[in-house]
Amino acid sequence: MTPRSVAIVGGATTKFGVRPTTWTELAQEIGAALFRAVPSLRAEDVDSLFVGAAQPERFAFQSHAAPIVAEQMGIRPTRILQRNELACASGQSAIRSAYAAIAAGLSDVAVAVGLEKMNLPSIAEANAAMACVMDRAWDSLSGATAPSFFAMVAQRHMLEHGTTEEQLAAVSEKNHRFANTNPNSQFYEKTFSRDRLMRLPVVAPPLRLGDCSSMTDGAAAVLLVAEDAVGRFPDPPAWIRGTGQYSDFHSLANAGSLTSWPGLTHAAREAFRGAGIGVGDLDLAEVHDCFTISEIVEYEALGLCGPGEGGKFAADGRGDLGGDLAVNPRGGLLGCGHPLGATGVAQAVEVFQQFASRVPPSRQVPDPEWALVHNLSGSANVHSVMVYQRGGAA
Amino acid sequence: MSEPRRPRTAAATTVAPTPPAQPAAPPRERPREARPFLLDFLPLEGEKETRLSRFYARLAGGRLSTTRCPAEGRLLWPPRTACPDCHREELEWVDLPEEGRIYAFSAVLAGAPLGMEADVPFSVGLVDLDGAPLRLFGRIEGRPWNELRVGGRVRVEPYATGDGRWFYRFRAVG
Repeated sequence: MTPRSVAIVGGATTKFGVRPTTWTELAQEIGAALFRAVPSLRAEDVDSLFVGAAQPERFAFQSHAAPIVAEQMGIRPTRILQRNELACASGQSAIRSAYAAIAAGLSDVAVAVGLEKMNLPSIAEANAAMACVMDRAWDSLSGATAPSFFAMVAQRHMLEHGTTEEQLAAVSEKNHRFANTNPNSQFYEKTFSRDRLMRLPVVAPPLRLGDCSSMTDGAAAVLLVAEDAVGRFPDPPAWIRGTGQYSDFHSLANAGSLTSWPGLTHAAREAFRGAGIGVGDLDLAEVHDCFTISEIVEYEALGLCGPGEGGKFAADGRGDLGGDLAVNPRGGLLGCGHPLGATGVAQAVEVFQQFASRVPPSRQVPDPEWALVHNLSGSANVHSVMVYQRGGAA
Repeated sequence: MSEPRRPRTAAATTVAPTPPAQPAAPPRERPREARPFLLDFLPLEGEKETRLSRFYARLAGGRLSTTRCPAEGRLLWPPRTACPDCHREELEWVDLPEEGRIYAFSAVLAGAPLGMEADVPFSVGLVDLDGAPLRLFGRIEGRPWNELRVGGRVRVEPYATGDGRWFYRFRAVG
């Protein structure tokens, strides 16, 4: 059987930030936003729902996440209903499952939604939820948190390659600048110069507050259909042309050098192979800048520059609009915030809207055809990559 | 109640197999008021709770150890109940070196998880154990974070958590 071609034909996000609203209310809000964004979509058309949700058990004390999200969104799945959990990559995991189901003929019209409510009255409780993403019994218990892990990546990168705090700040400045074009971002209308970023408090040395993405509440959803239904929707489809994923460790003891992420290189190679393109063909990329150092290592792992050259690549503006490749024009995780399950879906929404020329001119990539979305999860021990092409025919 | 404490040696130890005749440690008593455990970051360590209870019993006796696959001789960390390569379930316990060098470190100055807020600021790091192909993660005590350095020497230090459980950390030396 030849897999069917699959495209995203609509999408929406809620406002990201510290939201005075519950997890289930976010599900209602994104349901309303999706059906508003795709006026021709009727709830009964949707046969399957994939819910990217990293930790509702801890953040909202709610398990059996998929059916409650379906009810809140006003969707009654008749074919596949499931929850996808892959920590920071839960949203992309939902999209990949929807893609696989439609490609295989098991679904015709599917929604992939991602949502997270991370801001709790006790920030320590939220931090505990984040910490048990690591190996709880061997790493989390000693205080392995995301900032302290990625701080070690930054420390080694500085030691081995001479990467500087100013180069880290260049990534943060770019992504916060883009977030100022995105009213749904957490840091909309907040300006961060490199100088200001380098004076913010140190959270986990050498990383400062501006080097870290935030605890964020938010949701995002995309509508995926098979090739024969694409014509029913007015915007240019974002065809899924390639996917790749790679994971080879979990315990921090097995994290290798820290400074190179071969798992991302493998995952991207697989996604590019499926699409029949290379990194030089990309017009934009939404990559997982959970920390500034992440985007720098990702430049290298994707082959945008050589090993160790990511810091200079950032400082020279080569990942900026008008540079070698527009990276994170949405504002990234640094500028938009990082509601775990929602992030991967919101990145796909940005690709769809870039293809449809629906973003403000200040972040619109000129006439984009190819886009890459990357999520890492945990201690960069899982890498998930998707490649999209603006349609066109199937 | 725990295995006898082995004298420390100043020099790094090499990995040595456990004598096969050595009996398993008796179960350690816990203070009655410490039960029941709520789920926290520390695993349950007793014989009735984990097949790795010997790891914690040995730790209580002052020794950091792990499992090794006798078929391939590969040291496995964290300790395991089945080899990830050949899936053999009969693994042997071996002691690990007691010293090593810092490969990377950072510190938690803010954003500590529940139960660790009072520890802030605290340092964490990855340590290459002397003479063993293992890089272990853990707390690093004994010096403020801004006085630690990559390559600095640390010693493995088992510690009691105060509720009958045990884990290990590192202490900066030299």
